Amino acid sequence: MVEKRPDRVRGAGHDEFWAWCEKGELRLQRCANCHRLSWPVVKACEYCDGGDLSWERMSGRGKIVSWCTFERDYYSGLLPIPWETILVELEEGALFISNPADMTWKEIEFDMPVKLAFTQCEDSAGVFSLPVFERT
Amino acid sequence: MPEATTGRMPPSSRDLSRKAAIVGVGDTDFHQDYKAARAKAPGYELPTPESLASTAFERALADSGLRREDIDGLSVSFIYGGPNAASMAQVLGLTPRHLINNYGLLAGPLPGVCADIAAGKCDTVAMVYSAASRAIGRQYGGESYGGEGGGAPSSYYYHQPWGWTSQAAHWALIWRYYQATFGAVEEDLGSVAVQLRKNALTNPNAVMQTPLSIQDYLQSRYIVRPLHLFDMCLVNDGAVCLIVRRADKARDLPHKPVLVAGWGEGKVKGGKMDQMVRQRLRPQMQHAGGQAFEMAGVSLSNIQHFEAYDASTMHLIDQVEGYGFVEPGQGLEFCKSGEMAVGGALPVNTSGGMLSEAYMHGWSHVAEITRQMRGEAGARQIPGLEHSMFSLAQTDEAHPIIFERGA
Repeated sequence: MVEKRPDRVRGAGHDEFWAWCEKGELRLQRCANCHRLSWPVVKACEYCDGGDLSWERMSGRGKIVSWCTFERDYYSGLLPIPWETILVELEEGALFISNPADMTWKEIEFDMPVKLAFTQCEDSAGVFSLPVFERT
Repeated sequence: MPEATTGRMPPSSRDLSRKAAIVGVGDTDFHQDYKAARAKAPGYELPTPESLASTAFERALADSGLRREDIDGLSVSFIYGGPNAASMAQVLGLTPRHLINNYGLLAGPLPGVCADIAAGKCDTVAMVYSAASRAIGRQYGGESYGGEGGGAPSSYYYHQPWGWTSQAAHWALIWRYYQATFGAVEEDLGSVAVQLRKNALTNPNAVMQTPLSIQDYLQSRYIVRPLHLFDMCLVNDGAVCLIVRRADKARDLPHKPVLVAGWGEGKVKGGKMDQMVRQRLRPQMQHAGGQAFEMAGVSLSNIQHFEAYDASTMHLIDQVEGYGFVEPGQGLEFCKSGEMAVGGALPVNTSGGMLSEAYMHGWSHVAEITRQMRGEAGARQIPGLEHSMFSLAQTDEAHPIIFERGA
């Protein structure tokens, strides 16, 4: 089943991120100068402004740092309410906002380990693979 | 043509300390206007940025004891759109030699005006701000921020495919992490909403005039769980005007001048989510606070009154802790034990803040500092006040300003 979602940010760099997702890979930009990961997608490193960035594949392992549940409908019925979101610290260090694939706030715990999964979604630009996280 | 500049926060500098003072303050009828907007009685007209700002300006001018022709600078801050400074000068019947167009949030515009005054561009600036947030149906989440290039931080729009949106969601992630780190519970954070409502009840102009109990808080709906309705600031229409004058010309006016003594700025560079959720902008506040104290030549222990940007209960506590008034993790206990009330160790947002007085994007906080410094705060007056601190903290920036009662 394809889920409807609000629109992605598209354009140079962003499209590359989503193209990797389409192949089942979560890749973030690592800076050749300071070696740190930027997220969301940037034109230059968010830490040092370095321009030499490469798309590095993430292991997909992480842990839940925080989470929140939308009880207010900000998208006029597009998403069901309540709507669950999580903030995941990837093993490589970046913090990534996502959705829990298989749990609600009642089951989520601080530092809970999670692993990457992809779910088929659709926005106004078409069908795409969205990186989400599930229990290990 | 008068010179027009775009307001920005000038670097902190001892040379700019106490060069300008607030000598006039005016605002709109937050409570009455909110009631009228909610009731939509026949004949009710939606306010405009100009109509609101004009009301606040006339009140501030009368309050200052100055004449219209004394105003030789005009700064406009219309956060959701409005006339530029040149057009607003015509609306107000002013012929200023210096015009400043800037973004709506305080803090940046005030230090900018102080620097312009110090540079001799003008002597007396009317700073008008208004927001018709309610009248225009402003939304604070969903697709209201545009996308890349719209000026908002990427966290305001980038995570929409995951359904993560709104300022509220930023504060919610902070609060959940805070709960996990310090073992705090909802009653603890609710105490902040309750305290600010108590403060508002001593301010007849505050939007909110009904008591709020901790039970009311706990029973209120969630907006973004774990945050309740009462953790979020109000949405109302209003305006504030501050009249700022060269300090050496500010002495023979009806009111004691309120000197702008110091300011600072701290911004997140990379790793925003970590800095915001796990550090709660403490590094930025420590940096910016250090600059402001150095510029003002005062220390944290001199601050007797704190007015901070309370977009949410949580972010207010982030600031109480982040500048070092209390240690990280102690802010909620500090509030629960009454230390944030007038009479406590550090009265905070004494007129009710954006949570219970009015959502005036920082401007009503500085209006309150002005009234407190002058001894005009009535039932909520802090005795013997000499130094107040204001802080704007957003999701990735912190901007403190230190004020001192003038002679």
